[in-house]
Amino acid sequence: MPEIHRKLERTAIGFALAIIAVSSIGGLVEIAPLFTIDETVEKVEDMRVYTPLELAGRNIYMREGCYACHSQMIRTLRDEVERYGPYSLAVESQYDHPMLWGSKRTGPDLARVGGKYSDEWHVAHLADPRAVVPESKMPAYAWLQRNALRTHDLSAHLVALRRVGVPYSDEMVENAARDAFGQAFPDGAMAEGVAERYGDDTNIRAFDGDPGRLTEMDALVAYLQILGQLTDAPHQKEAGEQLVQAEEAE
Amino acid sequence: MMEISHETLVAIAKSWGLFYFIAMSIGVLIYTFWPRNRKRFARAKLIVLDKEDRPCS
Amino acid sequence: MRLIAGLTTTERQTGLFLAGLVTLMGAALGIAGRNDLLGYHGLLIVVFGAVIMIALLRNLDAPEPEESRLSEYYDDPIRFGIVLTMVWAVFAMFIGVWVSALLAWPELTFDAAWASFGRLRPVHTTGVIFGFGGNALIATSLHVVQRTSRARLPDQVSPWFVLLGYNLFCLLAVTGYFLGITQSKEYAEPEWYADIWLVIIWVTYFVLYIRTLARRKEPHIYVANWYFMAFILVVAVLHIINNLAVPVSFGSAKAYSAFSGVQDAMTQWWYGHNAVAFFLTAGFLGMMYYYLPKRAERPIYSYRLSIISFWGITFLYLWAGSHHLHYTALPHWVQTLGMTFSIVLLVPSWASAGNALLTLNGAWHKVRDDATLRFMMVAAVFYGLTTFEGSFLAIRAVNSLSHYTDWTVGHVHAGALGWVAMITFGALYTLTPSLWKRERMYSNSLVEVHFWCAVIGTFIYVFAMWNSGIIQGLMWRTYNDSGTLTYSFIESLVAMHPYYIARTVGGLFFLTGAVVGTYNILMTIRHEPRPLRERAETLGADQPLVPGE
Ligand code: HEC
Ligand code: HEM
Repeated sequence: MPEIHRKLERTAIGFALAIIAVSSIGGLVEIAPLFTIDETVEKVEDMRVYTPLELAGRNIYMREGCYACHSQMIRTLRDEVERYGPYSLAVESQYDHPMLWGSKRTGPDLARVGGKYSDEWHVAHLADPRAVVPESKMPAYAWLQRNALRTHDLSAHLVALRRVGVPYSDEMVENAARDAFGQAFPDGAMAEGVAERYGDDTNIRAFDGDPGRLTEMDALVAYLQILGQLTDAPHQKEAGEQLVQAEEAE
Repeated sequence: MMEISHETLVAIAKSWGLFYFIAMSIGVLIYTFWPRNRKRFARAKLIVLDKEDRPCS
Repeated sequence: MRLIAGLTTTERQTGLFLAGLVTLMGAALGIAGRNDLLGYHGLLIVVFGAVIMIALLRNLDAPEPEESRLSEYYDDPIRFGIVLTMVWAVFAMFIGVWVSALLAWPELTFDAAWASFGRLRPVHTTGVIFGFGGNALIATSLHVVQRTSRARLPDQVSPWFVLLGYNLFCLLAVTGYFLGITQSKEYAEPEWYADIWLVIIWVTYFVLYIRTLARRKEPHIYVANWYFMAFILVVAVLHIINNLAVPVSFGSAKAYSAFSGVQDAMTQWWYGHNAVAFFLTAGFLGMMYYYLPKRAERPIYSYRLSIISFWGITFLYLWAGSHHLHYTALPHWVQTLGMTFSIVLLVPSWASAGNALLTLNGAWHKVRDDATLRFMMVAAVFYGLTTFEGSFLAIRAVNSLSHYTDWTVGHVHAGALGWVAMITFGALYTLTPSLWKRERMYSNSLVEVHFWCAVIGTFIYVFAMWNSGIIQGLMWRTYNDSGTLTYSFIESLVAMHPYYIARTVGGLFFLTGAVVGTYNILMTIRHEPRPLRERAETLGADQPLVPGE
């Protein structure tokens, strides 16, 4: 009897192994090549990492589920390129852990929204979207203005990101919390370091219009304003060339 | 470790996928139509309809 | 408590020990994360563990259960699981209706973060898929594996560990979104500690399943178990790989995904698509291959076909994920591969749907009279329709129109409402009377009511979303004579308004059905059905419909 039992048990486990073997082939074959993709993703020199404030904003974007209504991925289709701007390149989400390409457009794509509107527009829109766009279905996010931004553990965030491959320097890690303040207080002492570490093109402003306080609104608007602005690469192709490629892809 | 280039991986992916698929389909068909299995399958069909609702001891 | 009285003293002690361990873990997380949102979750885990400990302690020296239990199947966790399934169904579908209403009337909420659309939506998706679907799968799989193996579950602790532990996971997930804890990966939103916990649960689940199969008295493993096993195994692999992440610290709820950009997108949709395949399809096919023949009292039409389609689905699905990423920055050849396999996938999918419907051939009078069987019949039809639509949507040209629109949502719910929910209700209506030793459900008319609510709700929902999705997609790409885009985004948004209202109405129907079903199940548990004579006087649909009568 125990002998039979052993045999039966073995078939169940053998069966389990068969399922794993058969099912994993597809994933392996499709995904494995993508991890050697460094060789094919465009290399661009000017791609910069998120500042701590933008990173905090990105985390708020995830926390509030903005990705449930907004994509950040302009496809290689003519109408998308005309509506939203140059199509998205792989390199643009190189430092996005995780990516926020999204799958539903209840609202418009945001991949190139950075610089499209003023900070004031965003603040007013986020606080009460229907005051700005009467037909909007977007939720109001008035509390962002009320909540102070948590900055004390930002250094640990940068360290975690460095572990997964984002090139933050020691200096950036050390100054993460200071830089978050600095970026939203243009006249303060901490502002200088931000431009030094993240480049002169970094937006350094009181994003929520209130330089006295660092709020979640500051962080989110800083993030929105950088979308599509981390590298120039997508804009380097002529608009005409983009359209031709988009049509070929179709 | 040997460096595997992106091209090699892509090539493997493209050619072996189909090969696997065919081999697996043949394997499954052999299993399902293997004469010795016929009786087990006929019995298996009826397990569900068993009225007795307690384990065999 | 009767449930605890069924455990031996040793089992009660083991349970106490495990619950204590969970409580300690919760306390550790809570203390480490006291300055973070993680603190709340630590507290939640402590409370969860403590409640179980108290329940066990209060009954620790109840008399030992009788030896005769070993000649019965062990069904207590399954009964509990059925009730949990219905609780999650009502909760998560209520949130679904709310979310839907928010798209029609965005002000229909509070000025509070937890009640905003972006946080509620994952509560809905997780609640229905993992709460409702997951509990249904655990309960039915443990029922099916015992019956088809003719063997009792090997012990009485691990099924409870799996069921309760799994519900702790669901609670962590859902409360997390309300609080603002999410890693934003669709259908994999819970953070690292919840993910690790699920791995533990899932391994236990798998071991439990294998141990039961190893005790089987039938030489052959019935095909329903194959599907359940594929569900357990592949979900484990998907879950572990997609959730690889580096936590900010032990005291922080936040973790950063190990993958970024293109790799993350591919991993995420490889996961997302196969969660649909192995959670929402394979698992529920397992359910169908047992309860449909059972209820119809006819063996499955072709056993061989069920085997072939099993391997077909297991093999093909995992190739198909990249159809979620057409025209994106993903390399072109991966998109093509995904599209091709998605189309081939139709073959085994239709084989399954056809097999189910052919099983019913010759028993159509039963389908006509018995709403429970009709639930399962409609489910098989919707399964066929949805997989057809899925293959169609995976074609690049079609996808260019449908992607990002409500068409996808319509497709999802044709599957979710028409297939997943309907097969589950059919299975539960078959299972409930037999588990509680009732002759039939408390009220067959209420099953009828539920059936029609569900069908009407699904049709309204799906048609509304087909319309809105296609209109939306067309408006976005319409050009006027001068070669510029005709419609602004806002114009397309305004055009959606009536459909969002219609969808809410459809959802309300479906929710009403689920509430009626829950009531019916609870009443079946509490009451013996009315005596026969009284029943004979009532007419029509209230006739006894238990097969074999
Ligand atoms: C219920 C879905 C929904 C959610 C959730 C949502 N939005 Fe929106 N969003 C919309 C809609 C619809 C529009 C278009 C109407 C408008 O401008 O308000 C929009 C427009 C926008 C715009 C203007 C885009 C443009 O190009 O005109 C921005 C920026 C924006 N949203 C940011 C956000 C952020 C940030 C969040 C998260 C905090 C968010 N949205 C959450 C639906 C949503
Ligand atoms: C009362 C019934 C239901 C209602 C009213 C409802 C409503 C909704 C709404 C409004 C959305 C958001 C769509 C959007 O963002 O535009 C949604 C998404 C979703 N629902 Fe439901 N739902 C219901 C039942 C179910 C069930 C039973 C399941 C699964 C078993 C399910 C699975 C999903 C999934 C997977 C999504 C995400 C879709 C996507 O991202 O494309 N729903 N639902």
